[in-house]
Amino acid sequence: MVRQQSSAAGVLALLQEPDILFKQHALKALNPLVPQFWAEISEHIGEIEALYESNDFPKPARDAAALLASKVYYYLGEYEEALSFALGAGTAFQNEGRTPGSEEYVETIVSNAIDRYIQARKTEKGDGSKIDPRLQGIIEGIFERCIAEGEFKQAIGIALESHRLDIISKLYAHTNDVSLLSYAMEGVLDTGFSLSYRDQVLRFLFPLFPLPAVGDASPHVHAVTRILVALSDPDLTLPFLSSLISTQPLLAYQIAFDLVEGGSQDYLENLRTSLPEGDDDTKPIYDKLRQILTGKESVKLYLEFLKRNNQTDLLILKSTKEALEGRSSLNHTALTLQNAFMHAGTTADIFLRENLEWLGLASNWAKFSATAGLGVIHKGFFEQGQTILGPYLPQAAGESNVPGANYSEGGALYALGLINAGCGSDVTSYLREALRSAQGEVVQHGAALGLGIAGMGSKSIEAFEDLKNVLFTDSAVAGEAAGFAMGLVMLGTAATEPVREMLQYAHETQHEKIIRGLALGTAFIYYSRQEEADETVKQLLAEKDPILRYGGVYTLALAYAGTANNDAVRKLLHIAVSDVSDDVRRAAVTALAFLLFKNPSQVPRVVQLLSESYNPHVRCGATLALGIACAGTGLQDAIEILEPMTKDSVDFVRQGAFIALGMILVEQSEAASPSFASTRAKYAKVIADKHEDAVARFGAAIGAGFIDAGGRNVTISLQSRAGSPNTSAIVGMVLFCQFWYWYPLAHAAALSFSPTGIIGLNEDLKAPQFDFVSNAKPSTFAYPSATKPPKKEAATKVATAVLSTTAKVKAREKKKAAAEGETMDLDKSDEADVEMKVEDSKDGDVTPIHSLSDENRPSSSKKKLEPTSEIKPNFSRITPAQLQYVSFPSDGRYQPVRTVTSIPSAKAGSRTSANVAKTLGLGTDRFGGGGGILILTDSRPDEEAEFIELETPEIAPPPPEVTPAGAAGGATGPHIALDESAPDAAPPEPFEVSCIFLCGEKGWC
Amino acid sequence: MADIEMKDDKSKDKKEEVKEEPKPEPLTPAAEIKQNAAQIARAVSTLEPRFTHRVLRSLTALRKKVDEAAIKSAVEGVYTKDSEAKKTLLSWLPATSPGSLEESMEVDSSAKNASEPVPEVEVYLRLLIIYQLLSSKDTYAGALDLAHQTVEKMQAWNRRSMDAIAAKVWFAVMRAYELGGDLADARPLFLAAQRTASLRHDDEAQASLINCLLRSYIAYNLYSQADKLVSKTTFPASASNAQFARYHYYLGRIRAVQLNYTDAHTHLQQAVRRAPPARTAPGFYQTVNKYLVVVELLMGDIPDRGLFRQEVLEKALGAYFDIVKAVRTGSLAQFQTTLQKHKDQFEADKTYSLIVRLRQNVIKTGIRRLSLSYSRISLRDICVKLNLDSEEDAEYIVGKAIRDGVIEGKIVHEKGWMECMTQKNNYGPEVSELFGRRIAFCLNLHNQSVKAMRYPLNAHRKELAAAEGAREREKELAKGIQDGEIDDEDLGGDF
Repeated sequence: MVRQQSSAAGVLALLQEPDILFKQHALKALNPLVPQFWAEISEHIGEIEALYESNDFPKPARDAAALLASKVYYYLGEYEEALSFALGAGTAFQNEGRTPGSEEYVETIVSNAIDRYIQARKTEKGDGSKIDPRLQGIIEGIFERCIAEGEFKQAIGIALESHRLDIISKLYAHTNDVSLLSYAMEGVLDTGFSLSYRDQVLRFLFPLFPLPAVGDASPHVHAVTRILVALSDPDLTLPFLSSLISTQPLLAYQIAFDLVEGGSQDYLENLRTSLPEGDDDTKPIYDKLRQILTGKESVKLYLEFLKRNNQTDLLILKSTKEALEGRSSLNHTALTLQNAFMHAGTTADIFLRENLEWLGLASNWAKFSATAGLGVIHKGFFEQGQTILGPYLPQAAGESNVPGANYSEGGALYALGLINAGCGSDVTSYLREALRSAQGEVVQHGAALGLGIAGMGSKSIEAFEDLKNVLFTDSAVAGEAAGFAMGLVMLGTAATEPVREMLQYAHETQHEKIIRGLALGTAFIYYSRQEEADETVKQLLAEKDPILRYGGVYTLALAYAGTANNDAVRKLLHIAVSDVSDDVRRAAVTALAFLLFKNPSQVPRVVQLLSESYNPHVRCGATLALGIACAGTGLQDAIEILEPMTKDSVDFVRQGAFIALGMILVEQSEAASPSFASTRAKYAKVIADKHEDAVARFGAAIGAGFIDAGGRNVTISLQSRAGSPNTSAIVGMVLFCQFWYWYPLAHAAALSFSPTGIIGLNEDLKAPQFDFVSNAKPSTFAYPSATKPPKKEAATKVATAVLSTTAKVKAREKKKAAAEGETMDLDKSDEADVEMKVEDSKDGDVTPIHSLSDENRPSSSKKKLEPTSEIKPNFSRITPAQLQYVSFPSDGRYQPVRTVTSIPSAKAGSRTSANVAKTLGLGTDRFGGGGGILILTDSRPDEEAEFIELETPEIAPPPPEVTPAGAAGGATGPHIALDESAPDAAPPEPFEVSCIFLCGEKGWC
Repeated sequence: MADIEMKDDKSKDKKEEVKEEPKPEPLTPAAEIKQNAAQIARAVSTLEPRFTHRVLRSLTALRKKVDEAAIKSAVEGVYTKDSEAKKTLLSWLPATSPGSLEESMEVDSSAKNASEPVPEVEVYLRLLIIYQLLSSKDTYAGALDLAHQTVEKMQAWNRRSMDAIAAKVWFAVMRAYELGGDLADARPLFLAAQRTASLRHDDEAQASLINCLLRSYIAYNLYSQADKLVSKTTFPASASNAQFARYHYYLGRIRAVQLNYTDAHTHLQQAVRRAPPARTAPGFYQTVNKYLVVVELLMGDIPDRGLFRQEVLEKALGAYFDIVKAVRTGSLAQFQTTLQKHKDQFEADKTYSLIVRLRQNVIKTGIRRLSLSYSRISLRDICVKLNLDSEEDAEYIVGKAIRDGVIEGKIVHEKGWMECMTQKNNYGPEVSELFGRRIAFCLNLHNQSVKAMRYPLNAHRKELAAAEGAREREKELAKGIQDGEIDDEDLGGDF
């Protein structure tokens, strides 16, 4: 073996020679020596550069010099310089790629070239002339290589980043693979691109997609829908829908339903009004489309779904009621909220009817909340909303004389807004009228909130002006709601003038409530406007007033909602540890959830340290962040963080942990999530434990409401089924987070409940009877089993607990009296149990659909013989995690016009085969849903079809079977719920004054 | 408050370590290796490099204890299933002695985790085997082979969780080459690997590789190459202390050869400070101190007497102590005899070339002593006192000493004498500057130690449990009050 050279000095000396030949030889000799002696050669880099620039050198030699210089710079770690010289080296560099041993060098240079190219393209804005043609050459080479090697996704990534849309179309022309287009769309939607560029790309991509066809063949329907929703441009949607109508009306219906799912109100409104009348053939189709686009059709169907499948366990509510003493308004509100969430959208007000006496205990703001709870329960029942709430709405005759009526009036207006959320065009005028005519601030408050929620994103200037007038009355209570509502009306407009006015007023007013309302209103206005909000965010975060900074935090979070934008996350994390105000810090941590909800599995890692902060407010924020971001996923990591926090030493941290656990575990089952049962048990224990802090019990009650939300048929998700951010859900959650200051706002959480079911419709938008298969063990996605009626002992214990708070230890006689009361209580509970059972069996008899719940029971009792799949009828609950197991039997009469899930086609293909071996968490991580309303093609149209009778809305009162036998006799007619309680509520409560603070302002409790 | 807590933590940590320390005694090396493998797996799964570091810290101690049988049984224990990796690993160990009963039992006990261990564990085992092979002369070639294979595997895996072990492997590779006697051949390999490491931001391997390269250059007296490498690379700031110590040591040697004694002194001093305690790594400590003594002498300072009294250094630095004595007295004759006497040792230490340079310093020291005692002295007398050949020589030497700043004074050529200036005031701005530097150093050290401090994970969980307990008790109490067992009056307030 020849001993190696120990120095390159000899060759370097040749560079000093005057003769060109020597120099050329030196360059040639040095090239292979660079890896060993770069340190030495780098001393002479100046000479080598000079050689490259000298004119009396032949081209190849100059190239060699450039290559040498480039390599030396590469070894020195000066990649920019290395790239410049590599570009100068031309062919020599290209040949270098084939030399063994220099792969890393070439790779590094190429990746730097890509970076520089992207940078150049970004700054030049599409003007290609200024970019170095040599750089361009390298990049073209990369694209060509990617195409040659089949690395299409890489090419798409580079093309997106470097704003080279022509490459995307070229790639598509080359491969004809629609999934590439979907990939590009996801790339641009889910990663941090600027809004304007995003729109540009989407507009470019949209025409590339081929017209979708019915059936599994075109899995890109989801992608197309997502683009339409993201762009929200009627001019684009209209021709698309029209082109479908002539050939595939079913698909047009399906897309219309999907648009309703994700689109904003004004977009749908515009679309609807601009749909043409159509000729004789197409007129009915257009009419139907219009009908769908109002959003009412979807709402109605979901309402029906929730009504049918309502699985609420009344026993849970009952035990809560017994444990939480109703006279404390905090407890009253807790139960109101729990009941509202558990029955959200089911129209089942049975609990209220059974407990009129309890309802009567509500006073002041608790009454407001209780009335508003009706709105949550009847959410989506827009046809009868006004009738149901009739008795509580402000009468045209003027002020009601009954004391305290203004609270129920305000609450009813708020409830009306909640009922009509998402399809509120009809009631806004009524609410505006109510707002204008309202005298007291309580009614104004309710009307403003109702108007804001019903008219969310309607951009109605009139509504905004009305709200502004209320704001200018400078009443704290009304002004706060007006602030929220102004933002909601102008949701996502980034309108400068309203923001300016609002912030100006926020600076002028003395009322903290108003400032908070306005600050959050500003946040709503900038919803999903990304960089357009930057300036306002900066201004708000620099404010001296912590409330405005609080608004700034939410503005940032909402502007970048769902983008996981790194800068925004970094900013929030910084605020979370550095702000001087606890409120702002808490908000900053919570707000992380709104940024990161698309990747829930990330969140536990991000907030883990924060959840161990010394500052209880930060810990509390962390709980909510976990809850909101991981809602409905059952993510074990998140639960592991939260569970110890339920034992925190600070009450409101425990509260947050309970709430968050409820959000995460919604629609999980005992089989799928190990902590499901234990969490439920914990709720029951905490609620029943009267020595637990009131605030924590409140949290447990809300958590218990979430875990069984919507009759156990809804999930909480900030993403729509198509994968885009679900606007109303996000808004709902932001409002819910304000419960810290104002309990009635917690009702807004109902906006983020999304029903999870499969609802199949035929071309007449009727629901046929059909079955589909869920290829998973039934127990994995089963409803939780009903709680057992409490045993005697337990009941006694609860009863003593209730009594001992009222009666203190002092007197023996009192104890005696207490014992009497105890026995009475017991009797009552027994009675209720009996009733329950009766109802259950009734349920099963009356509606055939309920065979589902029957099916459940045997399956859970004999687990050993559990089948690996189950057959489900139309209108069944299918949780998001379950969707991937759903398939339609190929010989069935009805087939969906598009794939059931939005998970890309490759998976969809394997999904149809019966033996799916996919882990559970996979689907839940990325997408909130799929499924939902499906339009079905009928393969045997000649046969007689059986249809599911939709509950005709004319039968106004909530489902007849829920009317309890023993309920108050006068309970007929459309409006029952609170009827009897209204007079009950009339006598003023003894503790009314202190209660104002108790129920609303957290700081006082 | 916080300080106290920290102290507590530290003492706890220490306790833990103390607890762990005696444990290895009953633990067989094989069991220890297995335990280490588990630790590494834990480090990979939790993304906590400190577990790996803990394992690597014990490497030296473990290396001395293990033998082939131990490694073999460990491999059997870690790889429960037959696999490619296991086969290759075992192929490097000599054929089995009949497997003892105890070993097979251990295998059974650990057979619970049937999954394939992480690649990091494999590399760790390979590292142990390399060292095992390096322990005897016959197997150097085998060690080199295995080292090459391991490096290839490491590069192919390209895992960041492997960095710490990889750095150790690189060092082992260098050892294999060095013991094989052809360290120079390894240079291209190291250079390429160093580039790769810097591209991948693999700081630990980079640090290790730079040191390997420097060692290779210096071993062949390629000081200018080494210097160029140092000037063109940045040593990663996150490198471990041991690597930093080595790096400073090599830098010190380079600077000393380049006559830049001040820098050399700083670096060597850093090397001493960064090095592990004298007892754990006596060899390094001795070597660095040898250079430090020489460089200090070259700077015209006399090293502290106490240095030579240290237990670890007393014997090793004997020859240097003699030299110091010679320089201190300023006697050239004594210096020459000492030099002759210890020549072999100095050459072995590679300090000979530096010590030869000391002759000038002996003279300078003499001059300095003179300058302290005389305010004016004739060159003639200098000649006599220092055994110099002529007055001219004396004049030049004094002139150089004045220019080098060894003494302050001037030569009055016409009259043939040297005038010495008065001693500088000790409290000038330099002093405060020096002081400031020392303070900065201390503060920096403090900051680094604070940063390096670790809080026990999940400590708050315990607090949570305690809080839960407290609340439970409170509830009990409240219940007690209500049940009438405890009277309100006892508590002195309305409940």
